[in-house]
Amino acid sequence: MSVNNLAVQLEGVGHQFAELRALNQINLSLPRGMTMALLGHNGAGKSTLIKVILGLLTPDSGRVDVLGQRLTSGKKPSNVGYLPENIHFYDKLTGAEILRYFAALKGESHQRVAQLIEEFGLGYAQHKLVKGYSKGMKQRLGFAQAILASPQLLLLDEPTVGLDPQASSFLYQKVAQLKRQGCAVIICTHELNLVESQLDVAMMLGRGQCLAYGTFAELAKASPLQVKIALDGLAALLVTHPYLQAFYRQGALHCAQSEQPALVRYLTTKCQRFDFTLHLPGLAEIYHHNMAQMQHCSEQGLGFVTEPVLQPMGV
Amino acid sequence: MMSTIGGAIWRQPMMIIAAKELKDSLRNRWVAVIFGLFFLLAFSVTFAGSAVSGTLAFPSLVSVIASLSTIAVAIIPLAAILLCYDAFVGEEESGTMLLLLSYPLTKMDIFLGKLLAHSGIMLAAIVSSFTLSATILLCFGQGYQWQQTLWVFGQFIASSGLLALTFILLSYVVSLRATEKAKAVGTLLSLWFALVLIYDLLLLALLVADLGHRVQWLVQLLMALNPTDIYRAINQLATHAPMGSLPLLSQFQGGALWLYGLMLLWVALLAWLTLRTFMRKAI
Ligand SMILES: Nc1ncnc2c1ncn2[C@@H]1O[C@H](COP(=O)(O)OP(=O)(O)OP(=O)(O)O)[C@@H](O)[C@H]1O
Ligand SMILES: [Mg+2]
Repeated sequence: MSVNNLAVQLEGVGHQFAELRALNQINLSLPRGMTMALLGHNGAGKSTLIKVILGLLTPDSGRVDVLGQRLTSGKKPSNVGYLPENIHFYDKLTGAEILRYFAALKGESHQRVAQLIEEFGLGYAQHKLVKGYSKGMKQRLGFAQAILASPQLLLLDEPTVGLDPQASSFLYQKVAQLKRQGCAVIICTHELNLVESQLDVAMMLGRGQCLAYGTFAELAKASPLQVKIALDGLAALLVTHPYLQAFYRQGALHCAQSEQPALVRYLTTKCQRFDFTLHLPGLAEIYHHNMAQMQHCSEQGLGFVTEPVLQPMGV
Repeated sequence: MMSTIGGAIWRQPMMIIAAKELKDSLRNRWVAVIFGLFFLLAFSVTFAGSAVSGTLAFPSLVSVIASLSTIAVAIIPLAAILLCYDAFVGEEESGTMLLLLSYPLTKMDIFLGKLLAHSGIMLAAIVSSFTLSATILLCFGQGYQWQQTLWVFGQFIASSGLLALTFILLSYVVSLRATEKAKAVGTLLSLWFALVLIYDLLLLALLVADLGHRVQWLVQLLMALNPTDIYRAINQLATHAPMGSLPLLSQFQGGALWLYGLMLLWVALLAWLTLRTFMRKAI
């Protein structure tokens, strides 16, 4: 893939905070128009990675290219939208004033501000001081700020914290809309079930290292997590089809992902059963598996997984 | 053509930041408090003589400036501190500093924008209240010479402006180094207390203890190290009447120009320190 089609390219990026190796050997090639979920435990280095991509932190090793520009020390990428975690804004200004302030700094018009305020359902509170805003209202304001001036890269650090379900889905709608316009989006979040249906790729960080990277299907495939097949009348079926007994556990059938096609074929042809439900491993399960593995490796003194489970795609 | 140039200037990040800081300070009521304090000071000192004697007799120019500067030396730094203590630590706490730094602007823009707004507010308060004081004296008083009054008040306003600038920048340095707003305000109020009140007491003790003027050079050096003492000295020199707690202040060798130079040096030093701290500050 040509370098210009990449929104973010990281090669061997590392960052040290005093004693702590906050990021170590991070590689990433994120094409434009793609959404990446950035996942990991508290203190994994997610926010740090976002700050490196924004040029706010200069990594001590590796190379950072953002929207076709090499970020050297102190250089910031242009055309980027950012929503920091835990933002409170200015207590003594109103929502509209704050949005107009940031719009002015990005050279965006007042009309666009008015439009965003309405879109984000803040119209009724736009002339109230932000001091009186709820957490979710501030978060909406923060997101509106991030998408000012049509960014080509959007970095959202825990954007759905404090948002009600409707606002969360509105946020993801907006993200999808920007994506269609070619904007690459990196969403750092702990709300795995919300982001699962939205992501193109995911990166899982653990103690500053990349534990896994890939599309959802790739991540699922790379994990040894099993597929669960649930169907009624299983007990009777086990008697008539002893082949299935090997897969039976806790009232359902379980198999490796590689065995799933064969098992499904067996059920539909040999058993003539079509009324089963397939439970593929979800993002949350894959995440827990990776974190448990990291924990296990460090307890066994094996060090962390030094290579990501999958190689970064798109290189 | 003019309007496009003007428009372009107003769209500079520095000006946008300055406008926001101004609005923020107005909302915080600091501006109202500061203007109120300064006008109260100007009025009370100007009319003090008439109140005491029961007739409409204004105090002499020398005693007006002496009284004004005695109070201003405490009030100007205090106002600057209250206005600016959260300039940086506040943005740090609310997460907006991180956000601002991700925008297409420089740290210099942020520094200059804030400085423009804060020094603008302080200067406006100083100029308007003290000009009013001078106007009252000239219009209603008798025996005040135009030229002398303007000259003395001009010096008073200029030195007050420099004192304000010094404390604005000092507040920035502390605000940049503090981890919490409360710590910034605590540190600054302690500094204020030390520089404005304690320092002079120590200086006085030194003078009293010194019998043969052997440590005069030391006293002068210590004065140069405290901007509020330089300010006092400037205003006592301007009125040619050593008054107040430290008559020796006005005997500062080298005259007013040196004192203004010292004041400017303080401003330059603190501006440099602010920028250096800001530039090196890790996010
Ligand atoms: N300015 C800093 N100075 C020193 N250490 C820091 C600094 N910022 C972050 N760290 C450390 O770096 C590590 C990664 O922090 P980071 O904020 O990137 O975590 P995170 O993955 O975003 O966590 P969370 O999910 O809690 O937001 C943590 O151990 C944190 O303590
Ligand atoms: Mg974080």
